[in-house]
Amino acid sequence: MHFAMPPRKSSRPPPYAMRNSRSFNLPRAFRRRDYRFLAILIAGCFSIICFLTYMFSSGGSSADYIPAGSAPVVIVTVFPMSAEAEFVEKIKKNRNDYAMRQGYATFFASATDYRSLLNDQPLTWSKVPAVRHAMTKYPGASFAWYLEPTALIMNQELSLIDHIMNKERLESLMITNEPVVPPDSVIRTFDHLKGDRIDFVISQDHDGLSQSSFIVRRGEWAKYFLDAWFDPLYRSYNFQKAEGHALEHIVQWHGTILAKLALVPQRTFNSYTIDTTGNNAKGMYQDKDFVANFPKCDAERPNCLELMEPYFERLDGGKKSE
Amino acid sequence: MSSRSPSPHHGGGWSSPGLMTPQGTSGRSSPMRGYANGGAHDVTWAAAQARSAEVKGYGAFAPRNNNFFNRHLRTLSQSLPSFAPSYAEKDKFGRGRWARFQRTRLGQGLARVGRKMWRWRKPLFVVAALLLCLLLFYVTPLYRLWRRTSFLGGGSKFVIILAANQGGGVMEWKGPREWAIERDSVKNKKKYARNWGYELEIVDMSTKKRYAHEWRESWEKVDTIRNTMRKYPHAEWFWWLDLNTFVMEPSYSLQSHIFNNLQKNTYRDINVFNPLNISHPLTGEHLDPETRSAVGDGKPSSINLIVPQDCSGFNLGSFFVRRSVWTDRLLDIWWDPVGYEQKHMEWEHKEQDSLEAMYRNQPWVRPHVAFIKQRKVNSFPPGACGERGDDPMIHYKEKDRDFLVNMAGCEWGRDCWGEMYHYRQLSNRLNRNPWEKFKDGISDGVKHLREGKKKDKKDDNKKQS
Repeated sequence: MHFAMPPRKSSRPPPYAMRNSRSFNLPRAFRRRDYRFLAILIAGCFSIICFLTYMFSSGGSSADYIPAGSAPVVIVTVFPMSAEAEFVEKIKKNRNDYAMRQGYATFFASATDYRSLLNDQPLTWSKVPAVRHAMTKYPGASFAWYLEPTALIMNQELSLIDHIMNKERLESLMITNEPVVPPDSVIRTFDHLKGDRIDFVISQDHDGLSQSSFIVRRGEWAKYFLDAWFDPLYRSYNFQKAEGHALEHIVQWHGTILAKLALVPQRTFNSYTIDTTGNNAKGMYQDKDFVANFPKCDAERPNCLELMEPYFERLDGGKKSE
Repeated sequence: MSSRSPSPHHGGGWSSPGLMTPQGTSGRSSPMRGYANGGAHDVTWAAAQARSAEVKGYGAFAPRNNNFFNRHLRTLSQSLPSFAPSYAEKDKFGRGRWARFQRTRLGQGLARVGRKMWRWRKPLFVVAALLLCLLLFYVTPLYRLWRRTSFLGGGSKFVIILAANQGGGVMEWKGPREWAIERDSVKNKKKYARNWGYELEIVDMSTKKRYAHEWRESWEKVDTIRNTMRKYPHAEWFWWLDLNTFVMEPSYSLQSHIFNNLQKNTYRDINVFNPLNISHPLTGEHLDPETRSAVGDGKPSSINLIVPQDCSGFNLGSFFVRRSVWTDRLLDIWWDPVGYEQKHMEWEHKEQDSLEAMYRNQPWVRPHVAFIKQRKVNSFPPGACGERGDDPMIHYKEKDRDFLVNMAGCEWGRDCWGEMYHYRQLSNRLNRNPWEKFKDGISDGVKHLREGKKKDKKDDNKKQS
């Protein structure tokens, strides 16, 4: 039979309304298709769960577990062998006061602690393993702030994170396209770096990168950076300023390190109180600065405490006035 | 037209027996051109209407489903269409030639087969589809496409970097043997890479002065790997191969041989095999637990570098690196002017020694390096690491069908081309297909017989003389 026209609708409608496939009715589906539908549903759910567990077991494992309530910042200070006990006490108190106020942790070490790692190399190198040690000891801290014992934290109101490490703040502070080692290094700091990608914050003084104050963000990069910096080949190379020149060397030769570095103005966290050469006016301490540094006061002028006295008074005065 | 009752007939008119138009019987439906019904004299109403339709520019009512296939599809699918059975003859059974054929024995047999096939049509269809897939994806080169695709075979995730011309260029002239070695080695890798859908990057390692401010003699491994990573941005693993290597078993894929079970095929703890006597897990108190652990975090996902070890330490003749941030850092720090200045006289093996030094001295390296058994990816021939070639950790064994032979150090007093030739022939012989084996078996047999006969003759001759 050929039908020229589509078949006519039956004049006798079916006794029950046809199930409309669009308005899908769950209980009805159960009733109609018995358990087949249920089985498919269960299999589907099971496979989705399997897939998700697979995804998460392989993916999110590398992130370190950070215990709740741990300090976000650890302040690292390494005292030289020659430091007097009184000096050490005062400096420790300064760090501890600040840490207490901000909820940070402190890590103190003596340069001799790492002597086994250094084969007769200058003890100033010990700041590098010390930072790594602090990170190991405080696995919850996102940042390690190394601060030389010759520096005082003057403005204890400032939180390190809001003052420097906050993304927007850091982006506004960063000095881009600047020769890494002044005055005429051909290697310049990158522009277009994002604040949350920066893992290493440091400042320059008149003659190079100043290592008396720097911040390292915890992570795989930090391990890489600190271990590379501490490589025995650098230690045995007799750089004139030991770890200082080694740092300048790796920063200039290795892009993966430079890409994580941010230069900030010296007064952000490393103002000097002594202008050793007379051409560092930009970096001199002014009132309300975060940190006051007395560079090399322990080595060349063994009168650190004397020099610091007025600053200690200012610190105490500030507390009393509160 | 099988409608019995008078009904409207497309094309117009009514199908009543006496007035049937020719086009009615043939089932033609399109508007007729010209005078289809026999001449201008007996003009039917339908023909007239069709003509006027033509003038108007569009056809008369023409239903769908009216071309040949639509009309006959149902019948076609069940049997051959039988054309023009006139109604009068319909009752006469088996009148056409087809029907006559059907009555023969052969015809009946065929018909039975046909019925059987019809009954089993669904399973048969599945089998046919499978056969087609097999043909498409396994026999023809389409399987290469399958193996290449990242979400199917995953071949394009692997890049083989073949270092040609090592130390050549300004340092050495290439003789015919060197050319032959290069040709064989390249051909071998090309075939392997094509078969499994891997990328092959052949790099020219001839010594050149690449930088204006420095001369780092043949330290280009790092640059080469970096460039290759840039060139293949979607690849994950990069396999470095020296030129003097030969893939003995092209039927092993990297995935099945190593990467599908990275955990089992590699070891993290260097104490398993430690020719350099590196004190392994690190003990420094300042290091984090992961770095101090003997196996890193113990997960295969953290492996970024896979290195085999020979009798004297790391061997970079055949090793794997994975694209990762860690690798970027390693490649960046691998060559450093300060290290180079102090050690370039001492470090005979350049990158290899530098890597060993980094592994020793920079703790961050260890949790991401895994080692692989030498014979898994880098078997040595006798002459390298021992003259006798019987070290079960190091030397190639035909019986175990090792994956790759690295004729390491053959340029220092050994015959590179001889070794290459030997292993090429061996590989060909080991990987013959059954047909080739059969042929070779026969020819060997014939040869054997002939030689035997010759011998007999000779013996006879001897006896006679």
